[in-house]
Amino acid sequence: MVESLFPSIENTSESSPESRRKKPRISEMAEIESRRINEESLKRWKTNRVQQIYASKLVEALRRVRQRSSTSTETDKVVSGAAREIRETADRVLAASARGTTRWSRAILASRVRAKLKKHRKAKKSTGNCKSRKGVTETNRIKLPAVERKLKILGRLVPGCRKVSVPNLLDEATDYIAALEMQVRAMEALAELLTAAAPRTTLTGT
Amino acid sequence: MLEGLVSQESLSLNSMDMSVLERLKWVQQQQQQLQQVVYQSSNNSHELLQILQFHGSNNDDLLQSSFSPFQMLGSGFGPNYNIGFGPPHEAMDECISRTSSCHMEPVDTIEVLLKTGEENRAIALKNKRNPEVKTRGEEKTEKKIKVEAETESSMKGKSNMRNTEASSDTSKETSKKASEIQKLDYIHVRARRGQATDRHSLAERARREKISKKMKYLQDIVPGCNKVTGKAGMLDEIINYVQCLQRQVEFLSMKLAVLNPELELAVEDVSVKQFQAYFTNVVASKQSIMVDVPLFPLDQQGSLDLSAINPNQTTSIEAPSASWETQSQSLYNTSSLGFQY
Repeated sequence: MVESLFPSIENTSESSPESRRKKPRISEMAEIESRRINEESLKRWKTNRVQQIYASKLVEALRRVRQRSSTSTETDKVVSGAAREIRETADRVLAASARGTTRWSRAILASRVRAKLKKHRKAKKSTGNCKSRKGVTETNRIKLPAVERKLKILGRLVPGCRKVSVPNLLDEATDYIAALEMQVRAMEALAELLTAAAPRTTLTGT
Repeated sequence: MLEGLVSQESLSLNSMDMSVLERLKWVQQQQQQLQQVVYQSSNNSHELLQILQFHGSNNDDLLQSSFSPFQMLGSGFGPNYNIGFGPPHEAMDECISRTSSCHMEPVDTIEVLLKTGEENRAIALKNKRNPEVKTRGEEKTEKKIKVEAETESSMKGKSNMRNTEASSDTSKETSKKASEIQKLDYIHVRARRGQATDRHSLAERARREKISKKMKYLQDIVPGCNKVTGKAGMLDEIINYVQCLQRQVEFLSMKLAVLNPELELAVEDVSVKQFQAYFTNVVASKQSIMVDVPLFPLDQQGSLDLSAINPNQTTSIEAPSASWETQSQSLYNTSSLGFQY
């Protein structure tokens, strides 16, 4: 879907993984996926094109966020709310840049849809279930070996990877870390840009 | 001396005049010898590999204690061997045909002799078991197969031991050949010296190697992971790093939230190229958290790419926001719908 929008850009840089992705059958995709993630994830989040695309998308998204928030009244609390919105926007943009090849990116994009659906459901029901589940796990808790406990924690950190097998989890974590690094770099650059540009406006304002 | 041994056996079996009792006694002797050989060398010698390879074709009926290590490896190779080497005795029971076909790849010096011996025994068996060929799962047939396989193994074990004593090169050759042949058909795992070679531990080892390979990738990307050894420590570092990155994103998003009102104004002044320049500057002055991060190189193609994205716009982002909005909206619609693969 996104590919159709950027045909010329992505074909040259990522043509081989894409062709590899489309041709083989579903049974082989997992293996090829993990191999691709291992070999390329460190590089693909550092390529120039990805960064440019992310940067431009981020700028677009922030504009939309700003336009949406400008309609509502501004208070002090809005900053944290806006921060959350911006973070979520940035995450979504990051996931979109991943082109749906990784589990965490799909989970991030899907979570937005899920969150919208959950608003319609009753909140009480969900909290009740959560409590009962917690109680059960508390009583049945067995001390898992340290490594497995840490793997679970890692699974909770990477979005959408709670019930993923260990090798896939490590793959996803690799890609996620590389993507997060790029995201941090982009946002820092943007913030620097704005702070550099801001004094001009504030000076004129005051 | 090797030939003597083999020929003796072949002779002894060849003669159908030999009474059943004598043959059984001989078989029991071989059995004892085999057990000795097995328990001596089972864990210590990698010549066992060869024995296993020659036994590659064990049937599922051959479940015995002394054979379980062989068979684990062998059962995987069984059907492959069958396909790979057309068994000469096709009318016979599967096991026997496979056992005979197994002999196709041994060292030349033993090959011919073993073959003859095997064929002789196979023929003897065939004559004996013709009425019973069709009935599978009968204990008698099982026992006979057991016996035959045992004798084979004992003989091969002996011959192998002697062979390796004589010259290790040929054994390496056979193992190489066998491993090559293995690679043609099945898993590419080679059992190392002194390690268990049953199917489960092989699979376990393959899985562990996969996981350790992936941990190595993670080690490369997470700074500070090299100093810690062991999976737990590395996982600690990784978790720490991910949390750190996520906190950074939160902090930066808060910063951008404050700066957001100036976004539009700032964007008018700044073009994409400057954005890229800031990437490099920021990265260069980054603290220890971002170690070994390659810079975003300035690229002249940046503007071109952007124009490709937004065909309605020029290189700078000064174009009317309407087209921008629609394009980005369409982008988000498609992306939020999920990727259909």
